[in-house]
Amino acid sequence: MTSKIANLFTSAALALAIGSMAQAENVLNVASGGSQNMVDYVTDYLGPLFEEQNPGWEVNVVGTGPGNAGSQAILEKIKAQAGNETWDTDVVVMTQLKSGEMVTEGLLQKYVGDIETGKLATRDTSKSALGTDVEGYVMPMFHSQTAIAYNPDLVSNPPASFDELKTWTAENKGAFGYNGIKNGMSGVAFTAAWMYAYAGNTDQLMNGPYDPELKNSWDQALNDLKAFNENVTFTPGNAGTLDMMNRGEIVMGPVWVDMFYTWQADGRLNPNLKLLLPEPGMPGQPYYYAVPAKAENAEAARKFIALATSPEVQAEGIVKRFNWYPGIDAQHVESALDQETWNKLFTDVTPEDLAAKGKPFPLGPFFDDIREAYEQKVSN
Amino acid sequence: MITRKASLFLIAPAIILLGCLFLYPLGYSLLWAFRDEEFGGWGLQNFAKAFALYSNDVLFTLIIVTLSTAIIGVLSVAIGGYLTLGENRVALVVLRWLYRWPLFIPFVVAAQLMRTFLAKNGMMNNIIVSTGLMEPLQAASYLDWRGIVITFVWKQTPFVALLVAGAMASLDRSTIEAARNLGASRLRILFEIVVPQVATTLMVGLILSYVVMMSVLSVPLMINAQTPTMITVDMAWRINAYSDYGVANALGFISYAMTAVIAWVYLRQGVREGGKPA
Repeated sequence: MTSKIANLFTSAALALAIGSMAQAENVLNVASGGSQNMVDYVTDYLGPLFEEQNPGWEVNVVGTGPGNAGSQAILEKIKAQAGNETWDTDVVVMTQLKSGEMVTEGLLQKYVGDIETGKLATRDTSKSALGTDVEGYVMPMFHSQTAIAYNPDLVSNPPASFDELKTWTAENKGAFGYNGIKNGMSGVAFTAAWMYAYAGNTDQLMNGPYDPELKNSWDQALNDLKAFNENVTFTPGNAGTLDMMNRGEIVMGPVWVDMFYTWQADGRLNPNLKLLLPEPGMPGQPYYYAVPAKAENAEAARKFIALATSPEVQAEGIVKRFNWYPGIDAQHVESALDQETWNKLFTDVTPEDLAAKGKPFPLGPFFDDIREAYEQKVSN
Repeated sequence: MITRKASLFLIAPAIILLGCLFLYPLGYSLLWAFRDEEFGGWGLQNFAKAFALYSNDVLFTLIIVTLSTAIIGVLSVAIGGYLTLGENRVALVVLRWLYRWPLFIPFVVAAQLMRTFLAKNGMMNNIIVSTGLMEPLQAASYLDWRGIVITFVWKQTPFVALLVAGAMASLDRSTIEAARNLGASRLRILFEIVVPQVATTLMVGLILSYVVMMSVLSVPLMINAQTPTMITVDMAWRINAYSDYGVANALGFISYAMTAVIAWVYLRQGVREGGKPA
């Protein structure tokens, strides 16, 4: 029930926000299941650009909050009006897991083949979302990646792999900090990376097929993680890790790369801090642009996404202003960007690193199993 | 004179709102705590899972909230008592002016304040270190259960103190004066004359604080990075990470049970006083 009430309120909020814009001639409604910066991206940058190129149109964006919870709100809102002739949401921005669910439930339309930029995104993430085939339905808005941030003034020889990290934390108790699994995705990503390193069957975890019995083989990895946790500091959230590094309470911890660079660019983070991607790698994820199956302004939605995934916008908006990795393939963006900005994005983590050690999150059901196993065996 | 019908009509909007927005979802979530989505039946599976995974958190929640309530009680009696019996005019004015401030600060803001204040190298430790009372290496982070208790106490004490001080101010002063004439110390007057007379108000304030603290999500989420944590965090986590409303409802049911005991005390108190809760 709580879910239904929550939906009611979300829908009411969406309806209010959308209703208040109704006086404009043509309104393109965008729902973004991301953090505030992803909403800002549309209100401050992409929206005005689209309005300038398409007179008579107004872009209205609603944010439903970060993570799968935010995307879940969009999914439920669209499901609720499934019986209607047309749906009032034209473009959705969602996580991998929930986009996959929407494709499976037939709530999205195929559009990638119809737009010019469709062929610019060829990475595996544009075809498969945590095991669900989404080819043709989604365009990646950006890729974000987790990595280990560290303070080179205090750590001259940072651990290059999870094995080295284990030894390092045993020697430097409390100097490594992460946010567990309930306080934000960077800690979840670290846990997933730990499982990739130690649970075995790494390929299967990422690509399937799902096997509900596999979780029985994780005891050793989880016990080791429990022992590892004895030597670390827990931080209150993604921002909490960066805060604690700033105050010198910890000297190393997993962070989101875009958040790290944005904080550094704003002067909110020690400029000396650096990033590294340890062996065998850490997860990252794209956010997707998609068009609901019965979107009222599907044509304009396509135009909007084509603009959003054009090399120029990806260069200026995604990389330069918001420090994300591009959604479309990197080589198309590089030519549209000045060398300095490009180098900045790839100073610590090189494109080769990213190709070799940037992993997806685990397959949906494995992901649930990992989190629940962590609750049962590591934190309980 | 308003007729019976008219009065029903007048309160209808309030009752409908209460029914739609409170009683219906409450009943629904209590009921659906027993629903097993996976197999489509009814049973105690959600509770079994909730206890397997979160029994420590339930206990932790109970301890934190009870401890906070006790400290709030002590502090609000101290504040109310000084406001009633204190003699230093300056101290009275300052206290009266200061103690209400946290009332106007939302929990989420209080949590954010405490996050920077109580951190290992946060403002509190920095001040202590700079006064030379502590070596920098001795500084410890309070961002654990202590942080939650500190935030709850800081935020809820003014509320209870406000009620208690009001009740104390409206007491018949002659009892206090009589005790003073007979040579009772101020502490003795507080505990033997004043507190017994405001005990009901104090209880009501503490019960309301207890219920409020049971429901706060932001404070444990932002302050406590450790495990165990409070059940509100687990409820949010079940929904956001697994879309699992079943176990979240079961946890909700448990927290209803924990507050129901307290609500029962509150209502019984009301009945004893002639059918109207204070």
